[in-house]
Amino acid sequence: MTPIWSGLSIGAVYALIAIGYNVVFIAYTTFNFAHAQLMMFAIFVTYWGLVVAKLPVVLIFAIAAVGIGLIALLEEFVAIRPVKGAHAHLVTTLGMATLLDGTTRLIWGDQVLKVPAVGSDATFTLLGGRISVPEVVLIVSVVAIAVAMIVYSRRSLTGLALLAMAEDRDAALLRGINVKRLALGAFVFTGVLAGLTGPLVGPKTFAVSTLAAALALKGFVALAIGGFGSLPGALLGGFLVGLVESLTGRWLGSQLPTIMVFVVLLLILMLKPTGLFGTTRERMV
Amino acid sequence: MALPRQLRALPSWTIPLVLAVLLVAAPWLGISSGTRRLLLLTCILALLSSGLNLSFGYTGELALGQAAMYATGAYLTGYLAMHWINDLALLVLVAAAAALLVGLVSGVPGLRLGGWSLAMTSFFLVLLVPQLLDLLEHYTGGAVGMVGIPRPRLLGAELSSLDMYVVVAVITVCWFAVMRNLITSRHGVAFQVLRESPILASSLGISVYRMKLTAYAIGAIPAGIAGALFAYVDKYLAPHSFGFTLAVTVLAASILGGAKSIYGPFVGALVMQYGPLRSTEFEQYTQIVYGVFLILAGTLVANGLAGLANRAVARLATRWRPTPDAAAAGEAAPVGPTPDGPALPPLTGARLAVTDVRKRFGGLQALGGVTLTAVPGQITALIGPNGSGKTTLLNVICGYYRIDSGSIHLGDAEITGRSTHDVARAGVARTFQTPLFPEHITVREAVAAGAYSPRHVGMPAAILRLPRYRRAAAADRAEVDDVLRLVGAARLADVEAASLPLGTRRLLEVARALVARPKVLLLDEVASGLDEDEIERLAGLIRAIRAAGTTVILVEHNFRLVLDLADAIHVLAQGELIASGTPNEIENHPRVLSEYLGVRQEVHP
Repeated sequence: MTPIWSGLSIGAVYALIAIGYNVVFIAYTTFNFAHAQLMMFAIFVTYWGLVVAKLPVVLIFAIAAVGIGLIALLEEFVAIRPVKGAHAHLVTTLGMATLLDGTTRLIWGDQVLKVPAVGSDATFTLLGGRISVPEVVLIVSVVAIAVAMIVYSRRSLTGLALLAMAEDRDAALLRGINVKRLALGAFVFTGVLAGLTGPLVGPKTFAVSTLAAALALKGFVALAIGGFGSLPGALLGGFLVGLVESLTGRWLGSQLPTIMVFVVLLLILMLKPTGLFGTTRERMV
Repeated sequence: MALPRQLRALPSWTIPLVLAVLLVAAPWLGISSGTRRLLLLTCILALLSSGLNLSFGYTGELALGQAAMYATGAYLTGYLAMHWINDLALLVLVAAAAALLVGLVSGVPGLRLGGWSLAMTSFFLVLLVPQLLDLLEHYTGGAVGMVGIPRPRLLGAELSSLDMYVVVAVITVCWFAVMRNLITSRHGVAFQVLRESPILASSLGISVYRMKLTAYAIGAIPAGIAGALFAYVDKYLAPHSFGFTLAVTVLAASILGGAKSIYGPFVGALVMQYGPLRSTEFEQYTQIVYGVFLILAGTLVANGLAGLANRAVARLATRWRPTPDAAAAGEAAPVGPTPDGPALPPLTGARLAVTDVRKRFGGLQALGGVTLTAVPGQITALIGPNGSGKTTLLNVICGYYRIDSGSIHLGDAEITGRSTHDVARAGVARTFQTPLFPEHITVREAVAAGAYSPRHVGMPAAILRLPRYRRAAAADRAEVDDVLRLVGAARLADVEAASLPLGTRRLLEVARALVARPKVLLLDEVASGLDEDEIERLAGLIRAIRAAGTTVILVEHNFRLVLDLADAIHVLAQGELIASGTPNEIENHPRVLSEYLGVRQEVHP
């Protein structure tokens, strides 16, 4: 049972990344390569706040949320807004990702830094497996965030406007939706969300400058499994990737998990390229 | 004044050829051994970037897998040279084949979904490289690296480092010649059509998926070759040479030199090797600099140094040649065939039969059981109010939409449910409501693209410029000239097609469809937005196409034009046929008058 708990908690992290990708996808029909870097930055900020500056927990959450939100805002202005088209965005957001990776390295170096839990870090036995308090908090929060976002996107006017925008940007514009501001809001929201969840994720992943690349890939696999644009899909995909990774590591050896996840990605792309919850949109001429 | 004109009159390969000779002969021109090594590494990086250009620049699919293919080539060469046979020529071929295999295996799933999947799967592939090397530690040396690769031998003779330089330079030159021949052939135009508009590409009979896969897989070949050469040059391989940084370096060199250019990658690689890659102090800031560079290059520089150079040349050319160019001349005189009707060479038409076709979009019934037949040598018109399903029917015939039930036959063959490029290859050509012309493509190239799949010439033939390719290219040229003359746009042949006015582009779309020698020609609102003169010309052209024997289906709102041209008219309303008949019958049909023309009828009981 322990590997299952561990898989679910790391899966929650992948689900968070996939949710971030999804929001940007809905708002811009594009892919933000640098989202995992935003999350990584939040984790390093948490480390700095808890270990180096010894700040109160509330303040750390606030700094991470505002700081990462600002980085996201900056990214929107330099890497998303000036260029058009998903492939151009791939290059510029990849640039942003590389830039953030390099900056992290320059500030914090290459070491693996242990990030303490913001609350209790006790472990206990649940259904025959060991699980720690931060892991429980992580899983529960991510499920709660996903559910809240699903409800919000279907019930609130803003959520509906976002969905309308994803469907047809021009039509939404003609309906009086301020497409640019709404999209910017969504983009900054992904940054704030990464900032807020960073302190929860840190104890699980630790802080290391190569973290983002790993998170980006697993997050993408979660997205591909769930289907582009689907929030429930992202949640489920994240947990699936986490479980595959953790169970492979447990039963097949420590060199294989990443390769196994890659195999899962290939299988999904070959068998059901739209993902579990994705829909094909009929092409328009 | 005279010199530049003479320079421009030279064949386009003259300058690259001179530079190639200089590159190969560089060691005898008194360069230092340090410079020689830099040039060597430039060649290797240029091979990598050039492969990336094929998929990223020309077909628009960002792929980072070059580093993985490079690693495959390098490690395979190293291992085989140590344990099996040490022959450079053979191992270069083996490495190229292995890289091609990696390209195919990673490209198939990556391209299935389209969009960013290839970027991500290939990115994943690159990050797996160190893990795979670790897993195969017995063969690769794992994290320690592979040591003891012997000096290269070629046909039994051991190569000195000077010989090796020459070999690398010659191979690089050969690859760039391959690229040049491929890109300047019709395949190059097909790549660009694909990049700009997959919809157009498939209507021309190009399979989007296969073509992208081909470009990505061919791009793997130089990466494998570069890997083999690198193994022999450094004689030591370690995982860190093949990581993500390399992938980003390759991308940076490609973007810097110009992703959509043939020789750009070499320039980009040269700048990278002379600049950032040489200094060691830079290492700490590598990622930051690359990051900033990618953002800047992605937002500010269109097509890198090659783009800048092309623009500069174009500007100089217009200054030196003040005569009004074709674009200006085109505006002065009207474009189009003469109304009294040009003659076309005979074409074979085929009967198109649509039987009880139904199509729903969610809750909306777009087609509710439509049955109609169009026969060769006749113009069958489709009219109806907006939203009545006319264009949907065309899209269904072309295979853009899957139908819910019913069948479609072309001659005796069923084309129901076949993919768009398949239907196009079976002989269905079309025009679009909004003419589709990719940017930066001349009228001649755009029209010639119509012949790409009907008279396909394989890539090897194009790369080697075999007689078959030359014959096809000459025939293309003659045919495109004929068709352009026919639509009266001959003098616009070298103008960028996308920059022309709407009326001209509509005629050019018809020209492009004609070059494919279609059995069935679908014209989607081809007269809308044209002035009366242009409509006259267009009508003449359509009559000529009918006379040539093709089956013409015309979707049109201009009722007068339809009555004038059509042999049979079908009227659609809300996805159903409400009337079919000759122009005479339709003109007086009460439901047509009320539902389509909005004429009120007195009801006579």
